[in-house]
Amino acid sequence: MFRHPRRFRFLAGLFALVLCPRLYAADPVRMVLEFQPDRDNGRQVYATCARCHLPEAWGNHDGTYPQLAGQHVNVLLKQLLDIRTGKRRNPSMRPFVQERTVGGYQNLVDVVSYITDLPMDPAHNRGPWPEATPEYAKGKTLYLDNCSGCHGASGEGNNEKSYPRLQGQHYSYTYRQAIAAKRGLRKVNLGMLAVVNRLSEEELKFALNYVSRIPVPKKDLAPNPGWRNPDFK
Amino acid sequence: MTDKSKLSRRRFLQAAGSTLVAGVPALAVAQHEPAPDESTAQTPPSLARLLRKADLPAPKGPRVVIVGGGWSGLSMAKYLKLQNPAFDVVLIDRQPAFLSFPLSNAWLADQVDLEFLSHSFFEAARHHDYRFLQATVLGFDREARKVYSDAGILDYDYLVLAPGIEYDYARIGVEDPVEQQTLYHRYPGGFYSSSELLTIKRKIHEFKRGTFLLNVPNGDYRCSAAPYERACVMAAMFKKHNVRAKILLLDMNSDITIMKDAFSRAFHDLYADIIDYLPSSMISNVDVAGRSVETEFDEYSFDDAIIYPPIRASRLLEEAGIVNPSSPQKTADTDPFRYNLVGDEHVYITGDSRSQPFSKGGHTANSEAQYVAEVIAGHALGREVVWRSPQTMCFSTMDIDPLRAMSHITYYRYDEASKDFAFDRIHSVDNWDVTGGQASLAWAEGLFQDMFYE
Ligand SMILES: Cc1cc2nc3c(=O)[nH]c(=O)nc-3n(C[C@H](O)[C@H](O)[C@H](O)COP(=O)(O)OP(=O)(O)OC[C@H]3O[C@@H](n4cnc5c(N)ncnc54)[C@H](O)[C@@H]3O)c2cc1C
Ligand code: HEC
Ligand code: HEC
Repeated sequence: MFRHPRRFRFLAGLFALVLCPRLYAADPVRMVLEFQPDRDNGRQVYATCARCHLPEAWGNHDGTYPQLAGQHVNVLLKQLLDIRTGKRRNPSMRPFVQERTVGGYQNLVDVVSYITDLPMDPAHNRGPWPEATPEYAKGKTLYLDNCSGCHGASGEGNNEKSYPRLQGQHYSYTYRQAIAAKRGLRKVNLGMLAVVNRLSEEELKFALNYVSRIPVPKKDLAPNPGWRNPDFK
Repeated sequence: MTDKSKLSRRRFLQAAGSTLVAGVPALAVAQHEPAPDESTAQTPPSLARLLRKADLPAPKGPRVVIVGGGWSGLSMAKYLKLQNPAFDVVLIDRQPAFLSFPLSNAWLADQVDLEFLSHSFFEAARHHDYRFLQATVLGFDREARKVYSDAGILDYDYLVLAPGIEYDYARIGVEDPVEQQTLYHRYPGGFYSSSELLTIKRKIHEFKRGTFLLNVPNGDYRCSAAPYERACVMAAMFKKHNVRAKILLLDMNSDITIMKDAFSRAFHDLYADIIDYLPSSMISNVDVAGRSVETEFDEYSFDDAIIYPPIRASRLLEEAGIVNPSSPQKTADTDPFRYNLVGDEHVYITGDSRSQPFSKGGHTANSEAQYVAEVIAGHALGREVVWRSPQTMCFSTMDIDPLRAMSHITYYRYDEASKDFAFDRIHSVDNWDVTGGQASLAWAEGLFQDMFYE
């Protein structure tokens, strides 16, 4: 589908809306911007992000920081733009993703291309219920019935549609985010909102426990939990 | 600790009596337990306001009173309201406006202006839908759930104590309270109140020649990097203005306590002719009139100085009788995960006066508050909350024109083996550069936005 394996495309609907409101109103055309990601520049841009997210982009096990490594580029980009505009509340990170600080779309594309290729934490935080438990089984059913349509049968997400990869994400983080969505503290896609509102907090725990225990393909993982990103030695 | 954790009204009054001006405890008695002859009570008119209710609308939900509008209190107020909009939140600070200590070293060197550092409590309260009360809190009564302030009495359902730190001059040999005041005014440390910062800025700008003495305290002092950072900023200023000054940096620790390589590099490469760094210099006395400092083995005279004594938790905690006397920084016994006073789920202690050993930082206070607000809302609404760690991010300005800074972040974890908190990950970006300088501004801007505007 891509002409160049490293070429990167993303839909800039908002961009089109701002630039040509009349065109947008008449014909909801969305601009497709194409960029050639530059990994080395991405690494340099990431240096600023790493001041908070750490060089590995693994987040932390208690869920204050998400694992960014291995996340889909479109998901990362959508989050960056949402944080930039304030649609997603994150005041402490917000100044870092403004045009005046991080630069334009090219830099954003570069940094997300860098992050998506980082190897993931092989020991991410998992929910409390191992495979043999009834909670695990309940969670599996709940997940497959309610979430997998978007987030994928093995939590792999969907880059084209900007559905986040949940597989390998810290359970502590996914649970906090799902609860934030349920309590109206994080604005999310309406389809997602409908299901988190339908399920109880306990059911969400079970479902997220299940995803947190789906194995991550070995090729996506760092060799061991002590691995340190050599780009930032 | 149970005997200490419940404070009787009588003990509150005794504790209050030791700190309030004479006569006020008697008034407090008149309010609480009507004295037999109330009509004849001689109430000095200027003190009557201590005994009325504070001017606040009747609470529409459970009231949370927050003592201290620093990084911790401001963040608590905002996130409490987000986590439970039904809370009636009142933030109390004795100061009329907020002034940030973080980035103040850059301001000393004119790299940012006062508008950048200073923000209005009114804005914070308006944007985040709570009340601000400018008042000094004098004490509280945990049985009656009342807070006493110089703007009157407030009832509370939850009390958050975030009054920050105070200097502990006794630990550098200055015991007499009057002498402590004199030292504080003449050679302020610049880690506690805004007047100190204004004084320090004038001192630096007016310094002509000679020895300017600075020190780094021992113990878990506020913001580990800042005293070293200040030495670098001052050296950069002296260099820029060709002031023939020596900075004598007496470190009460045996070595640089944070980002050692980077600070040594700056001391040796950038400021070798200005900064004299002397580790293991335990200050044992300060002679204010004679302008000299004694350490165990030496005596140093100076032309001007910034003396940063070791610190302790706010005296408000001690005066309320909730301090564990064996704690080195006069902190209270709190639940390390839930922050409440042991035995009282209606009183919480956050920010630099907390008992946990996290580095004392504004970032720590802000990230911690996002969690503690959930704990308190959880208590009110019957929700379960799982512990998560604060982080400490610290920026150090190393050179000026343009601003060059480095950063350091610490994550914490709970160590089951030692049953204590431990550092989890630490990441230092210790090549100070312009990107770091810009990042320090973005960092502060984000947190100001968080506490005051969005
Ligand atoms: C030079 C310098 C640089 C720093 N750099 C950084 C940095 O880069 N990163 C970082 O994270 N931190 C930094 N810090 C540390 C940071 O400033 C403190 O850790 C932070 O202010 C702690 O917040 P707090 O709310 O606990 O206390 P404070 O901010 O001190 O707030 C306490 C408030 O309580 C009020 N108060 C106290 N008693 C009463 C009372 N009885 N009644 C009413 N009000 C009362 C006070 O007026 C004050 O406003 C730096 C500090 C300094 C001095
Ligand atoms: C000041 C610290 C800080 C800096 C600098 C920072 N971030 Fe963040 N970022 C955070 C925090 C905290 C969160 C989690 C917010 C939450 O819990 O909702 C976050 C969340 C994110 C997310 C959302 C991930 C998800 O799956 O939900 C992305 C993507 C992200 N950051 C990317 C970046 C990039 C790229 C940069 C650099 C341009 C950056 N961040 C710089 C603090 C920071
Ligand atoms: C209609 C599609 C859809 C469904 C169904 C759905 N989600 Fe989502 N989910 C999304 C989208 C889109 C996002 C990104 C939200 C945003 O833009 O910030 C998301 C975000 C999340 C996040 C935050 C991830 C992150 O990295 O920040 C979690 C956790 C999550 N979903 C869990 C679930 C669970 C659990 C279910 C089932 C109970 C579910 N979702 C069902 C579409 C969906």
